[in-house]
Amino acid sequence: MSSSQSHRLTSGGLIDRSAPLNFRFDGKTFSGFQGDTLASALVANGVKLVGRSFKYHRPRGILTAGSEEPNALVELRTGARREANTKATTAELYEGLEAASQNRWPSLRHDVMSVNQLFAPIFVAGFYYKTFMWPAKFWEMIYEPAIRRAAGLGRAAQLPDPDHYDKAWAHCDVVIAGSGPAGLAAALAAGRSGARVILCEEDFVPGGRLLSDGGTIDGLPAADWLARTLAELASMPDVRMMTRTTLFGVYDGGTYGAIERVNDHLPVPPEHQVRQRLWRIVAKRCVVAAGAIERPIVFAGNDTPDVMMASAMRTYVARYAATPAKRPALFTNNEDGWRTVETALAAGLQIAAVIDARGDVSPAHRSLASKNGFTVLHGSVSGVDGGKDGVRKISVSLAGGARAEVEADGLAVSGGWNPAVGLTSYHRGRPKWRDDIAAFVPDGAPPGMVAAGAANGAFGLGACLREGFEAGAVAARDAGRNGNTGAAPTASDEALSLTPLWHVAGKGKAFVDQQHDVTASDIELAQREGFESVEHLKRYTTLGMATDQGKTSNVAGLAIMAAVSGKSIPETGTTIYRPPYVPVAIGAFAGHHRDEAFHATRLTPSHHWAAEQGAIFVDTGLWKRAQWYPRAGEKDWLESVTREVKAVRSGVGFCDVSTLGKIDVHGPDAGAFLDRVYINTFSNLTVGKARYGLMLREDGLVYDDGTTSRLAEDHYFLTTTTAKAGLVMQHLEFCRQVLFPELDVQLTSVSDQWAQFSIAGPKTRDLLKEIVDPAEDLSNEGFPFMGAREVALRGGIKARLFRISFSGEMAFEISVPARYGEAMARNLMIAGKPFGVTPYGTEALGVMRVEKGHVAGPELSGTTTAADLGLGKMMSSKKDFIGRVMAGREALVAPDRQVAVGIKPVDKARRLRSGAHIIPKGQTPGPDNDQGYVTSVCFSPTLDQWIGLALVERGRERIGEIVHAHDPLRGEDYDVELCNPVFYDPDGGRQRG
Amino acid sequence: MAEFSWEVRSPLDRALVAGPYGVRGDAGVSLTEIRNFDLVQVMARRGMAGDMAKAAKARLGVAAPDAPKAVQSSDATLIWSGPDQFFVLSRGGKHTTETLAQTFASFASLSDQSHARVLISISGAKARTMLAKLSSIDLHPDAFAIGAAAATSMDHTSVTLWRGGDKSDGQAVFNVLVFATFAVSLWHTVLDSAAEYGVAIGHSEELA
Repeated sequence: MSSSQSHRLTSGGLIDRSAPLNFRFDGKTFSGFQGDTLASALVANGVKLVGRSFKYHRPRGILTAGSEEPNALVELRTGARREANTKATTAELYEGLEAASQNRWPSLRHDVMSVNQLFAPIFVAGFYYKTFMWPAKFWEMIYEPAIRRAAGLGRAAQLPDPDHYDKAWAHCDVVIAGSGPAGLAAALAAGRSGARVILCEEDFVPGGRLLSDGGTIDGLPAADWLARTLAELASMPDVRMMTRTTLFGVYDGGTYGAIERVNDHLPVPPEHQVRQRLWRIVAKRCVVAAGAIERPIVFAGNDTPDVMMASAMRTYVARYAATPAKRPALFTNNEDGWRTVETALAAGLQIAAVIDARGDVSPAHRSLASKNGFTVLHGSVSGVDGGKDGVRKISVSLAGGARAEVEADGLAVSGGWNPAVGLTSYHRGRPKWRDDIAAFVPDGAPPGMVAAGAANGAFGLGACLREGFEAGAVAARDAGRNGNTGAAPTASDEALSLTPLWHVAGKGKAFVDQQHDVTASDIELAQREGFESVEHLKRYTTLGMATDQGKTSNVAGLAIMAAVSGKSIPETGTTIYRPPYVPVAIGAFAGHHRDEAFHATRLTPSHHWAAEQGAIFVDTGLWKRAQWYPRAGEKDWLESVTREVKAVRSGVGFCDVSTLGKIDVHGPDAGAFLDRVYINTFSNLTVGKARYGLMLREDGLVYDDGTTSRLAEDHYFLTTTTAKAGLVMQHLEFCRQVLFPELDVQLTSVSDQWAQFSIAGPKTRDLLKEIVDPAEDLSNEGFPFMGAREVALRGGIKARLFRISFSGEMAFEISVPARYGEAMARNLMIAGKPFGVTPYGTEALGVMRVEKGHVAGPELSGTTTAADLGLGKMMSSKKDFIGRVMAGREALVAPDRQVAVGIKPVDKARRLRSGAHIIPKGQTPGPDNDQGYVTSVCFSPTLDQWIGLALVERGRERIGEIVHAHDPLRGEDYDVELCNPVFYDPDGGRQRG
Repeated sequence: MAEFSWEVRSPLDRALVAGPYGVRGDAGVSLTEIRNFDLVQVMARRGMAGDMAKAAKARLGVAAPDAPKAVQSSDATLIWSGPDQFFVLSRGGKHTTETLAQTFASFASLSDQSHARVLISISGAKARTMLAKLSSIDLHPDAFAIGAAAATSMDHTSVTLWRGGDKSDGQAVFNVLVFATFAVSLWHTVLDSAAEYGVAIGHSEELA
């Protein structure tokens, strides 16, 4: 054993002494036990100093024993798994755990930046705002990096997270936050009623304060009642206990967010398991039994290591058998604080003194004091003498005005309890003030949510059980479950008897927000400078803005603000509460969706064949598409693409175009429907023919284009662009269901039903004759341009054949049911072998469409009209269609609109790039004379030069004009000639031949 | 002239590796791809839903579902896919677009989806636990009984989900129809989600 666990009691506690664990903190090896947190193990080893504070680099210890901890933040684990700002108070100990303190250099005990404390007078609230204002450009370069270095918390790992996370849904009648007495009672009542229950407990052991405070329930010791209750809950199949799970947020419709730390308690998650899981819990009702957080009293030196919340001290002693101090003192303003004295005495510790701020102490406590030989002082702690090694001496201002000193090695502080009002306030509920407990309690909780027990301001054990049981029973009933709840567990109630005390005046820094180093005087300064509203106070001082979200500090802060501004606490009010209740790793929100799985991918039917051919794939939306097919010896993509284009233009090639959206439009009114969604007419299309169609948005701008074929009187087959496939389907469904319900038309997406290939080039017909049944007539007469019909293929299947061309060549598109897609690609290679068939990718497809002057995505940009694209004549004047009226707006028909036009570089050797701006020749580039931009470019193997399409003001009237292309992004300037956008075969003879 | 063979290939042909996956030992999740089925989308013509339902009953022996349900006939499963529309799932060419066209004549529009979807059948002691990672649907036995169906999404992918008849050992069976081009992507997500429970992977031509 590498260390003595000098501060471990010889017996007791919920730790497994048969399972010792070794761990390292700041490089030093210690030991603890299974059942410890990192904090309790550090306490057991007498480690008091665990970190340095955010701004002043003051030595800090452990303040609490829960998720509200502001100080004991560490870097947990190492390397890629290093997690900054992990709370030692909730991190479970495991064998080999490694943790390091934060925000210190070169070491925790000798921290250079603690010199900041000497300059404390200038590091007041608003310091950054006041100091780093000027010169502005210094902010990014100098101030911010320097401040981040000095005032950071932990360091991120900066390596990819090697662990996995996932997300899951859960459904129940009643979700309960917290498994203390109130939560367990609620679960009992709801479970017995027959409700489906999820009980979330952020600790790794259920029981809440029962684990530390004990008590008697139904005549049984708390531990026995707990065991009995857990057994009963475990016997109910629809009650689910989720430990290590924090309910962190509430969302619309009864949806709750929870984070489950599935394997944070292990060094590395077991194979195939996740580290954390994000839950979306859908619940009809929610009982918040999240308990309360003990609040500090603000006094000078209250951040000294081993000044600890009283409840935390008794948790360390009772639950973990670890002693933060051998002879602690207690500073309390209420009865509950005294329980720490009882726990300490029971564990054999001495009590240095009790400083009780109330006027009066009960006879029972007096006799306890005299019996155990400690004094009870009426007054308040006004200072602490101590430092990185803990507390040495405590200064007390006595009620009568005199001063006293107490020698102690620790100080337990109890200022009362604040109900955990987070969850109940996340839908803008404002907690309300209750004078009797001097605390805010939930008000205006989201629908279906109720707080019970300490979370509702009912602090006594009996009250917690009563309220929890009642809330569970009502929640189950409201969810429609009416089983017999049986009897509620009972216990007696303890007195709180609290006299509010927030701040004790004294010399030295008195901290309100320990994580952000906000002091009582910062709050006073904020008030003097006019930042009196709590929201201003928060932002000016950063009170409550740290990772703990001010769980121990907010109420004290606004109480001090209330005092200095002469208002009551409820008048001062609270800031807005927002989820998450505890920090949640972004990785948990991402879940499975990272790296290659960042989004779903779609594979074309010939994907695996293309991969075999060595295709380079490009992400096109969700799709992986073959971009080009490199061959051995080709030095770059351009060489491959140029070869593919030449092969098509001189022979034959094919390309998988299955990514186009495909929609079956059925019904007697299918033609009438298409007439309304396209600018041109489809009702007069003859069966067996295809037509190019263009659709507009309601605002008159171009939405999408594609060919649509009439396969039967009441059946059209519509295609969309790849990018708009889903959107066009939605749009058409909207038109069908909402705009034109009177039409008898049915729509089905068949995008995935068909594998579709474009076959192009002068030898296309030769190839097809090999594979199509010889009985089919493929001649120009038998299958004319824009023909569309079913054909039989050799080998026994049927296909749809469309004589349409995107490349400008003699071309067909052929489609077969998708599971034949891979066979189709292989068979096209076989059929085309005698003709040198060449598979081509999306780059060659793009080159040929630019050569042919076809518009595509870059021109269908959501800013262009049909006329801009040279398709204005397609707009029928004989019918109405979506976008017709708005397309006639003045600006959309203005003569100086930027319209699609071809461009060629004047220097034939020059490369074009899209995005360059078009400026009249001889003019200085700038917004005043910007006349458009280059939308698409390619190297045309056919013309042996770069060509492009551009949107240019009055472009069609300016064919032949030399203009200037200005490309400030790439630092290029050159002249281009405006030309006919159809560079290749302008009269269309090749595609019709 | 060259000979052409038209091999049918499932989109999962390569991604699916039959056998165990993930944690070793008893598989908590069983994944079976059902291959070579016939799937036809039937959508009522305007005002013809009643006639469509009658025609379905006459031909298939069961009423077409008018709510999110899947109903079983002797040789087909009818799965609700939206208001006044449903899928007919069968095998062996018994109910194809061609044969159903005679039944539904002018009552409904038919669209062949046999190649547009991949069908994955999911069962096992951990099936519900695994599916909770993928589906927002409450699959508790009381909430999602045999024959319950949902048009929903998994992993941002549109799917049709329904509960088939229990297996002989009493285990529930969940069927997922996913668009074919998304199938490999969803398959990998399912494997990732199921790996911690141990997976038994296979494929079959028998409908579950």
